[in-house]
Amino acid sequence: MSETRFENILQELRQSAPKAPGRLRERVRALPEPNPRAFGVKLRPALAAAAALAIAVGVGGAAIEGFKGSPDRKRERLGLEAARTPTAGDRAKPIPEQAHALSSDRGRFFGPVFPGSRLQQYDVTMSARVDDLSQGTKSAIRTTRRLGGYVAAADYSTGHTTGDSRLDLRVPVPHVQQAIASFTELGTILSQRISVADLQRTVDRVDQRRLEARAVVSELEAKQRRIALTPAEQARLSRARLTVTRLSRSRANLVAEGTYAKVSLRLTTRKPAAKNAEPGRFDRFWGDAGDILGKEAIIVLYALVVAGPFVLLAALALLAERARRRRADSRVLEEAA
Amino acid sequence: MAEEHLDDVYRYLLYVTGNPHLAEDLAAATFERALNRWRRFDPRRGSARTWLCQLARGTALDHFRAEQRRRLREEAYALETAKPEEPVFGEGLSPALDAAVRSLSAAEREVIVLRVVLELDGETTASVLGIRPTAVSTRLSRALQKLEERMTSDVRD
Repeated sequence: MSETRFENILQELRQSAPKAPGRLRERVRALPEPNPRAFGVKLRPALAAAAALAIAVGVGGAAIEGFKGSPDRKRERLGLEAARTPTAGDRAKPIPEQAHALSSDRGRFFGPVFPGSRLQQYDVTMSARVDDLSQGTKSAIRTTRRLGGYVAAADYSTGHTTGDSRLDLRVPVPHVQQAIASFTELGTILSQRISVADLQRTVDRVDQRRLEARAVVSELEAKQRRIALTPAEQARLSRARLTVTRLSRSRANLVAEGTYAKVSLRLTTRKPAAKNAEPGRFDRFWGDAGDILGKEAIIVLYALVVAGPFVLLAALALLAERARRRRADSRVLEEAA
Repeated sequence: MAEEHLDDVYRYLLYVTGNPHLAEDLAAATFERALNRWRRFDPRRGSARTWLCQLARGTALDHFRAEQRRRLREEAYALETAKPEEPVFGEGLSPALDAAVRSLSAAEREVIVLRVVLELDGETTASVLGIRPTAVSTRLSRALQKLEERMTSDVRD
């Protein structure tokens, strides 16, 4: 077939295009008028609006939380940092009943109230930044001695620009609160830890065992005065005497521990690192808002990870169904004459 | 809108069915469907003519499926076609071309009516048929080639 004839066929098809018969026109005209467009929610704009609303709520919530939470969280952070700051004098404490890591405010003391009726062991670890290391160290030693205590160990070192001193002090328990209050006046407290362990129960137990051992000694000594003791009784008497001696020594040690509080005081002239500088209100806002946004992002990511495979499967099923339907339509038209 | 596109819808259905009476019924059904669904029409996604052609296609497919089921039930199928003497696809169409068009399948006639008679572009035709524009080109090329062959064989006879 020539190109001209081909064009003629196409032209003939176009020119002879059938027109709708008049009766069809009448039938269509007779169809009822459609109802006015009612208010309806379209899926895509509704989804877009829901997504925008969710983002706005997420960001807005983070911003509000940033404004609200900044000062509290700042204090919380500083408190935690103070509590975590390890000090050279920090030692393992035997069964601490109370531990406090408190404010860094200059000259303020938030220590516990000490009961005086029971024998207790106090361990105090403090760290402070002072302007004059020598003056601060001397003042701490003077205070300790004035309160009836003594210096167990001292380590003083100064460099070109900075210096540190470490004092292991023993302060009479009745005056330990006064001592801590005085030490907080030396400079800015960097960290503070106070632990109190009850010794009374241990002392009571030792006393009980000592009484029992003494009773054995008295009984055997009385018998010895009347008759000669058997070798087994002699051995038992020796053991009981040793026990009494050992328990008496042990009690004396416990009482000594309960008499003096161990205070480990570290003084330094080092300035805090720049990164530890107190963040500004704007920085705190961004920090807190960022935390919330980060958590929201994690939740969204988690939801995507969990729901993702299902969404993917649903999308694949939808695509497969559309392809199947398309093939079925084509088959129907191919088969139609 | 119905008046404006009535001819196009009718032409399309006539080519797909090859039966003027059936095309008439299906065209009326298409407009009825359009009136019921007109809220779903979104001009941003395509013209009214495209949307009506899509509806007409759906109506025709529904009819063909119903016919298939009926054929299976009755095991006897009498195709309601026009008499061969009467021109089906237009008053001015030569009997040879009319017969050649009639010998094509509905799918082949469908692509010819959309691209040649209604003069829709490739993209719009693809949108109506639910296939890619390249597939439209291929289908049209094959349909026209077949039409050409049928015309040539008619001339030889």
